[in-house]
Amino acid sequence: MKYWLSFLLVLLLAGCATPAPDAGSAQGAASLTVVTTTTIVGDIVTQVGGDHIQLSILLPVGADPHSFDPTPQDVAQVADADIIFANGAGLEAFLDNLIESAGATERVVYLDQGIEFVSGLEQAATGEADHAGGDPHLWTDPNNVMVWVHTITRTLNELDPANAITYSANADTYAAKLLTLDSWIRQQVALIPAENREIVTDHAQLGYFVQEYGFKQVGAIVPGYSSMAEPSAQELAHIEDEIASLGVKAIFVGNTVNPTLAERVAEDTGTQIVFFYTGSLSAPGGEAATYLEYMRYNTTAIVDALK
Amino acid sequence: MLEFILEPLNYAFMVRGLIAAVLVGVVSAVVGTYIVLRGMAFFGDALAHAILPGIAVGYLVGGGAREPLFWWALATAILSSLGIGAISRNTQIKEDTAIGIVFAGMFALGVALISTVGNYTVDLAHFLFGDVLGVRNADLWLIAVFGGFVLLAILAFYKEFMVLSFDPILAATLRLPVRLLDFLILILIAVTIVVSLQTVGVALMVAMLVTPAATAYLLTRRLPVMMALAASIASISGVIGLYISYYLSIASGSAIVLTCTAIFGLVWGIRSLVRVNL
Repeated sequence: MKYWLSFLLVLLLAGCATPAPDAGSAQGAASLTVVTTTTIVGDIVTQVGGDHIQLSILLPVGADPHSFDPTPQDVAQVADADIIFANGAGLEAFLDNLIESAGATERVVYLDQGIEFVSGLEQAATGEADHAGGDPHLWTDPNNVMVWVHTITRTLNELDPANAITYSANADTYAAKLLTLDSWIRQQVALIPAENREIVTDHAQLGYFVQEYGFKQVGAIVPGYSSMAEPSAQELAHIEDEIASLGVKAIFVGNTVNPTLAERVAEDTGTQIVFFYTGSLSAPGGEAATYLEYMRYNTTAIVDALK
Repeated sequence: MLEFILEPLNYAFMVRGLIAAVLVGVVSAVVGTYIVLRGMAFFGDALAHAILPGIAVGYLVGGGAREPLFWWALATAILSSLGIGAISRNTQIKEDTAIGIVFAGMFALGVALISTVGNYTVDLAHFLFGDVLGVRNADLWLIAVFGGFVLLAILAFYKEFMVLSFDPILAATLRLPVRLLDFLILILIAVTIVVSLQTVGVALMVAMLVTPAATAYLLTRRLPVMMALAASIASISGVIGLYISYYLSIASGSAIVLTCTAIFGLVWGIRSLVRVNL
């Protein structure tokens, strides 16, 4: 018995001693250690930082930022980082505790600075909105991401002036791609007849996209900006009425949430469910592995469903 | 008045929700009488967490399909409840402590499995949990079939279960297969919990399992009366709660749970003023 116990103990200790996998540690030339919260912020930071930064992303691919729970490794990564980029606007509910326990309060850059919040969804006023500032899904409008690029470039230039020329050049290249993306989205949206530009989502996560490209958000299955809220029977009845009376063609559901409610509403109203990417990119090599691919994927999904 | 009652029924989700609330209410409340009598109120909440490793494995094995998850959850719940039974039978440890040990261990195992895989595309912990407004027709069949099976089993072993719940020592003297019956009751409770979880979600399941049976316990000590009372209280709470959710715009699960709680408070208040004995 004793033998087995000590054997078990050795196994446990060996398990603990295994070094943590460190993303990107092979890049010896990296001069800055950068941590981002979501994969989307991570992609934009990579576009600007290139090989000069060593990047770790806290949220795994596919994780819902509203309900993420950090591990001790995450705390350690944040503690060791030179700079931390977060979406902000209340998206990362886990972040306050995390940066406090990592002692990194001074080194966090929130990318919501300089962006005007929208709160386009009337339902959100009565519903359970857990983001006081407004819709936190800032990146659904590439023009907001343009602001991110400026913020990121400014921050990296200050921290690492030696590589400032590279960062600024990367930022210019990427900004041009964002402009192309923006005009491509406009062309695509123009294919949808004006009376069909009505959007129902599972929770209110397309506010900036809706506002920028001339859609109307009819409503959301779950009230508010967080995937964690629950609707009342009245709210669900209201959204079914709206869908029926406006002839809404599709319900857009994020691919990281439980689609049960949206599926019932779609069945009852005879609309179709269209899945799209929300808080996370796809795995590398997937259909939405970068922000540009992500926006193209989602736009195509929306246009195909509504046109 | 009729308009008031009929208007919500225009919505298919309300009709399905009402049927589900009543079915889950009846089955959970009947099973809940054993839970209240045995003093294991947190069994429901504990099992809802203990199924996490099963869901994680089922998700990985099934490549993300949602349908098989129910069976993985059911198997894990039955295994966990048998583990709880085995610990409390074979050691000096009380049942509620055994529940704590198994629940914590299984939940941690689930979290460990998920964090090892890292690349998961859904919030697994909430993936199985239903919502009373999101009930499918298939779910209604699921409760009807499994609920019917549970109620039939309770009917078949009615006398044995009663002796076991009220007087375990007598049960042993009568040479009843105590251990077997004990495991059977735990399995029936586990089945009820997983089916309710999948249809109406965790908060509503826990409340339906405990509160109506506890309310009935305030009024009577006779098991059949207690079961009938608990089942009625649960179904009435389900219906009233859904109407409140419709007219006052309160999240449905919460509305039903709060109705259960209010009925408990009311009965408690009345009982402390007048002696009721059913």
